[in-house]
Amino acid sequence: MRQQYAIRSLILVAGLVFVGLAVIIQMIRIQNSEQAKIFLSQGDLYSGEFRMFYPERGEIYDRNGHLLAGNRTVYEVGVSLSQMKNPEALAYNLGLYLGLTYEDVYNQLMNSPKSWEYIVIQDYVGAETVTSLQQLMKQMEDVDDNSLSGLGFKPHFQRSYPEDALASNVLGFVTRDGRGYFGIEEKYNDLLAGNPVQVWVPSDPNKATEIPRVPNGTTLVLTINRDLQAKVENILDKALSNYGAENGAIIVMNPQNGEVLAMATTPRLDLNNYSSYFDIYDNGSQYNRSIGMAYEAGSVVKILTMAAALDAGTVTPSTTYIDTGSIDVGGITIYNWNREPWGQQDMTGCLQHSLNVCMAWISTQMGPQSFYGYMERFGLGHPTGIDLSGEAMGRLKVPGDTDWYPVDLGTNAFGQGVTITPLQLLMSASAIANDGKMVTPHVLYSMLRDGHQYNVPSQYAGSPIRAETANTLTEMLTVSLEGESSSALVPGYRVAGKTGTAQIPTQLGYDQSQTNASFIGWGPVDDPQFMIYVWIQRPSTSIWSSETAAPVFSQVAEQTVILLNIPPDMVRNQFGSR
Amino acid sequence: MQAQATQIIHAYKQAPWRVQRQYVGAFLLVVIVSAMVAALYLQVTAGAARAGREIQEMRFEITTIQRANADLETQLANLTSTTEMERRALELGFRPVKPGELDYVAVPGFVAPEPAILLAAEDVTEYSLPLPAEYSQSLIEWFDERVKSGGY
Repeated sequence: MRQQYAIRSLILVAGLVFVGLAVIIQMIRIQNSEQAKIFLSQGDLYSGEFRMFYPERGEIYDRNGHLLAGNRTVYEVGVSLSQMKNPEALAYNLGLYLGLTYEDVYNQLMNSPKSWEYIVIQDYVGAETVTSLQQLMKQMEDVDDNSLSGLGFKPHFQRSYPEDALASNVLGFVTRDGRGYFGIEEKYNDLLAGNPVQVWVPSDPNKATEIPRVPNGTTLVLTINRDLQAKVENILDKALSNYGAENGAIIVMNPQNGEVLAMATTPRLDLNNYSSYFDIYDNGSQYNRSIGMAYEAGSVVKILTMAAALDAGTVTPSTTYIDTGSIDVGGITIYNWNREPWGQQDMTGCLQHSLNVCMAWISTQMGPQSFYGYMERFGLGHPTGIDLSGEAMGRLKVPGDTDWYPVDLGTNAFGQGVTITPLQLLMSASAIANDGKMVTPHVLYSMLRDGHQYNVPSQYAGSPIRAETANTLTEMLTVSLEGESSSALVPGYRVAGKTGTAQIPTQLGYDQSQTNASFIGWGPVDDPQFMIYVWIQRPSTSIWSSETAAPVFSQVAEQTVILLNIPPDMVRNQFGSR
Repeated sequence: MQAQATQIIHAYKQAPWRVQRQYVGAFLLVVIVSAMVAALYLQVTAGAARAGREIQEMRFEITTIQRANADLETQLANLTSTTEMERRALELGFRPVKPGELDYVAVPGFVAPEPAILLAAEDVTEYSLPLPAEYSQSLIEWFDERVKSGGY
């Protein structure tokens, strides 16, 4: 009997062991099968997710700390399809709040691919709309109504420009894909955007991993003075309206360090509505005419010719020239702007009366090698290197070019046949205002990153002329403005400057009826702190720069001295003598 | 002689019930130690899970605050934009100053203050501290690390 029990027990134990072993073997077999690998990889998919952490785009401030470009929160409104309970209610309410039709939303919800878990109904929805939707959801949930179940909101940043169109030509804009176009936004896109970081984030909080800190994009502080920019844009807009002009540009720069204080052009773009870009501009060069559009500026170039001649010793301020009203250069006769002889003139008179013949004589006296050597050193035909995207080079034909003719030596001397951007001439002339040292214009004042401030140093682009030459020419230009009681004069301040009225070249020659009116000037002449370039394109009330661009210079200079706290010369001299 | 030896063995041999008690005691010891290890492990992992959840919540809170901060900055900029400030100034009866109306006063040693944005320095050290290993390490991983480091 006892033996029988023992045998039965053994059989039972053997059976249980067999079953146990079978279970273990089966477990091992399943866990090492091909399907197990697939299941494991599928499981891994749901154990977490790769998440991209985008840094907040760096902000842009003016030199006084006013925000020019910031960020605001907008939302992606979507529906989690597995949690959706009442598509009709969702379609009705989303259509109502988001300005969509019921049918569109309903079709999206019901006809999405089966593999989709989440569907985006609308992106870039404002915070106010989302708050209203969230309140509606809460009200419904309070009465146990889950009709809006599945509705979700994902916040993210969108670029925002508090000043709308102000300085739009300098700032540029950022599209929804996060890329900057034009101006600062494009030039410094990589710095502003920062570096996104991709991280595997496990769903299991037990496996908490450290999410690396994603530093924000670099914040930029510009040299632009917001208030001056606003004033200058206002003056430009009024000038275009008063003179019946097509477009224009005004730049205010510090000639001592190249800081651009204001840069206004037309037309401007409301940066919060950048999609209207194609309605406003025909091509990219129009976005910022100050740097993107090269043109024949005419007589303002005469200051460079005179600077070169004075520096080379070809002439002195007292050198006289008897103007007969015309001069032959390379077999072509060149005339004055009024086709009249002006008789004996010294070099200040040549500038004051803007005599083409005198300038052509000067350049021929210098010879092409010397004249073009100076023009090269002044940077004509080269980009200035300003830190804005879309800069045009302009064109300076030189001997040896297939389209250069001997007459160009004469015409180039008074600004015909040479194309420049307003900023290019401003940079070249900075050598005259700044003791012979030419500055590189820039709009970036400082960069802020991780609590550190990186200031942008001023850069000099060479010394094309000597300091004595620069000071002599500045005095000549000041005297010539004062001598003709120019409308460019600024009460209380001595300023130097030169007008430029240039006929517009067409395929049939120069259009006599339409001009580009320009003015370049700086002050106070004993310590230049501002330099202003005015370009009025095709003014219709008067073609002359002295009647259009010159008074605009005066208005801009008046606002500049107020906003930059530059006292009148007499007051400064009193302060200096104490 | 042999009988004497048998007697000695019997004298020193433990009683069967005593041997059984030793086995039971050893088994219970293993069970208790295992239970203690399991409890410790559970406590550590639960703590790590709780910390992980707290980190997630705090990170979410930081992001929310950063968003709110950016929104407020932009709102402030909207309220102090040139057009808005000019409108408010005109409403208050101000008008743009003309050059002749300004009086200048020389203040020796005066240096115009830098804008606040250039004075603000963000302290980055608090963000750069790495997450301590205790928050993410399992007991086994900790033990493994200690063994590899030779107990240090």
